Amino acid sequence: MSSRTGEPIMRSAAWRISLWATLAFACGALFVFVFLHRFVADDIQRRSDAWLSGEVEVLDDVAERTPKDALYGRVVGEVAELAAKEVPNKLPSDSSSNDSVFFLQTGIDGSLKLWVGAGNGAPNLKAIQASHILPDRPTDLQVIGFAIPFRVISLRAEDGGRIYLGLSERDELRVLRSLRLRFILLWLLLVLLGFGIVFFTTRRMLSLIREITEAASRIGHSDLSTRVPTTARNDEVGHLARTLNRMLDRIESSMHQLHTITDSLAHDLRSPLTAIRGKLEMSLSPAESEQAESVISAIEELDRLTEFLNQSLDVAEAKADALRLNPMEIDLDDLFRVMIDLYEPSMSDKGLHIKLRSGGSLIIAADAALIHRMVANLFDNELKHLPPACTVTIQLKAENDCASVVLEDNGPGFAPEVSPHLFERRVKGRESNGHGLGLAFVDAVARAHGGTVAACNRDGGGARIAVTLPLAPKEALHKLAL
Amino acid sequence: MHYYPFMRLLLVEDELDIQSFLRHSLEDAGYQVEAAGDGRTAEQLAIEGVFDILIVDLGLPDQDGISLILRLRQLGVKAPVLILSARRSVDDRVRGLEQGGDDYLTKPFALAELLARLRNLLKRNSPPGNETTRLRVLDLELDLLRREASRSGQIIQLTPQEFVLLEYLCRNAGRVVTRSMILDQVWGMRIQPDTNVVDVHIYRLRGKVDGVGQQPLIRTLRGVGYVLKDR
Repeated sequence: MSSRTGEPIMRSAAWRISLWATLAFACGALFVFVFLHRFVADDIQRRSDAWLSGEVEVLDDVAERTPKDALYGRVVGEVAELAAKEVPNKLPSDSSSNDSVFFLQTGIDGSLKLWVGAGNGAPNLKAIQASHILPDRPTDLQVIGFAIPFRVISLRAEDGGRIYLGLSERDELRVLRSLRLRFILLWLLLVLLGFGIVFFTTRRMLSLIREITEAASRIGHSDLSTRVPTTARNDEVGHLARTLNRMLDRIESSMHQLHTITDSLAHDLRSPLTAIRGKLEMSLSPAESEQAESVISAIEELDRLTEFLNQSLDVAEAKADALRLNPMEIDLDDLFRVMIDLYEPSMSDKGLHIKLRSGGSLIIAADAALIHRMVANLFDNELKHLPPACTVTIQLKAENDCASVVLEDNGPGFAPEVSPHLFERRVKGRESNGHGLGLAFVDAVARAHGGTVAACNRDGGGARIAVTLPLAPKEALHKLAL
Repeated sequence: MHYYPFMRLLLVEDELDIQSFLRHSLEDAGYQVEAAGDGRTAEQLAIEGVFDILIVDLGLPDQDGISLILRLRQLGVKAPVLILSARRSVDDRVRGLEQGGDDYLTKPFALAELLARLRNLLKRNSPPGNETTRLRVLDLELDLLRREASRSGQIIQLTPQEFVLLEYLCRNAGRVVTRSMILDQVWGMRIQPDTNVVDVHIYRLRGKVDGVGQQPLIRTLRGVGYVLKDR
């Protein structure tokens, strides 16, 4: 009924909302990054390719113009070394060694004619021969001995051989890797921050709703004067609180009207009853006269009428959830022992047996006068309806925050024609001489206290009435102990 | 009858029927009764005279009974008040007054109960007498310390509950006690069972107390209640 403050945070609505919001945000951000990453990677690739095709033409030009003498290798080699220093995306620190660029020239027969770069060029030549490299189209080339592939462009030399210029993709990949790393860190930070912000705002918002719920659950059957807390803000939560309060105003006013009606009805009937009873009693007091018998029975009838009036109004108010309660702590175990003490002689006079099975003290917070009358009604009911030699067994125990009271007998049970309407007013068995309010009253009192009543016929014969009433809150028990 | 002579009582009740029968019964019981039909008259009477006890109905034509009581208290009236209420539930304010030493009774009521409550209120206000440890009514004797009852010297075997019931009857010997008074005082419940549970207890007690050949002490006044004879 009421939400408890001790429940785990993972099960709160704020947690779920933040989780979903963060998930959506993270997916969106990831999508944007993938798009950006592709764009950057393509751009870097395009720049490298532009450099490669520019440089290979320069080299081709140099190779063409340089006479094919002993200096040819050195001249072309120098040019290739120089070009390697202008590699795009290169870190300035590793300018000393050149392992990011190679230059390779083959003869007409495909043999290695000139090599500039790290190693002897044999694996590179092998890789080039293995793959099919189109002229003027930069291609990725995986070379044995190198972890990172090369981007290679080829050009047909004037002498019928080919020249190849390769650029390691290392720097390109490094740039992309650092981009990814930065993004992931930033993304994590954003996601965590977003989650935090969403979580704390929803939690704040929902804690207002929780306060409203708790206040609303405290507004019990009898106490309608309190209101849920309102905030000054004009948002949905504030609106909810104000709407609830307006609804409570209306309920309180109609409840008040109902009380006024029942009170004035009770008053208007009770005053004449008092006068009549008084006069009858006075006519009785001098001595036992001839009319005494009829006066006595008139007084007894009046008392029954009064009790009927009280119970009818109580049942009417309880059906409208308007019974006024004055809760105090009652030990059901004590109460049933006293009641059994009170009813036992009448029961044994009728040949009935009564047994109590109780697990000890069972404390509820309830209106003592109503609970006493309710229990008396249950006993009266058994006493009036059971044939001799039956046994009534009463069981008291605590069950999930509730006190459970089960009355079982081995009598004839409820008549089939009344069974479906046991808790309605004016329903009674054919042979009953009561006014038919007994169980309706029990039901009304139990419900007014937030409990339940169930009645049925037992399988083995006999009736079974089960009443549950909420146990007193632990805090109250604690207070009592202090 | 056992009554308190010269006890002055102010009766505030607007229903003339009820006022007149209450006045008669109270005068029969030995009270000197002044009656008022509304709050203003009651106030005047209370200022002019001194009363030992007040009976105030809650529904007065000109004001609320509780306001009247509070006002009389302000005026210095210290006498205990028995509140009569025709309302169903007992108002919290009435409860407050009850804790202040006053009592309430809901209508309709038995005269015996009204008289018993008046006696209790007066007793509360008088200095406490010596708490006796023995009660004696004719030849019936109760030892309150040993929880033993005897008649003409012969011990009567009683259950603890029967002893409490007999003690209550003895303390009110000569006066009528109603079933609801017995339920309230002996079992601590304000209930109105529509079965004869109290009667059965009384029959059993009578069986033990009024033996064969002895003068019957516990008398039933049908429609009213029971009385333990003291004469």
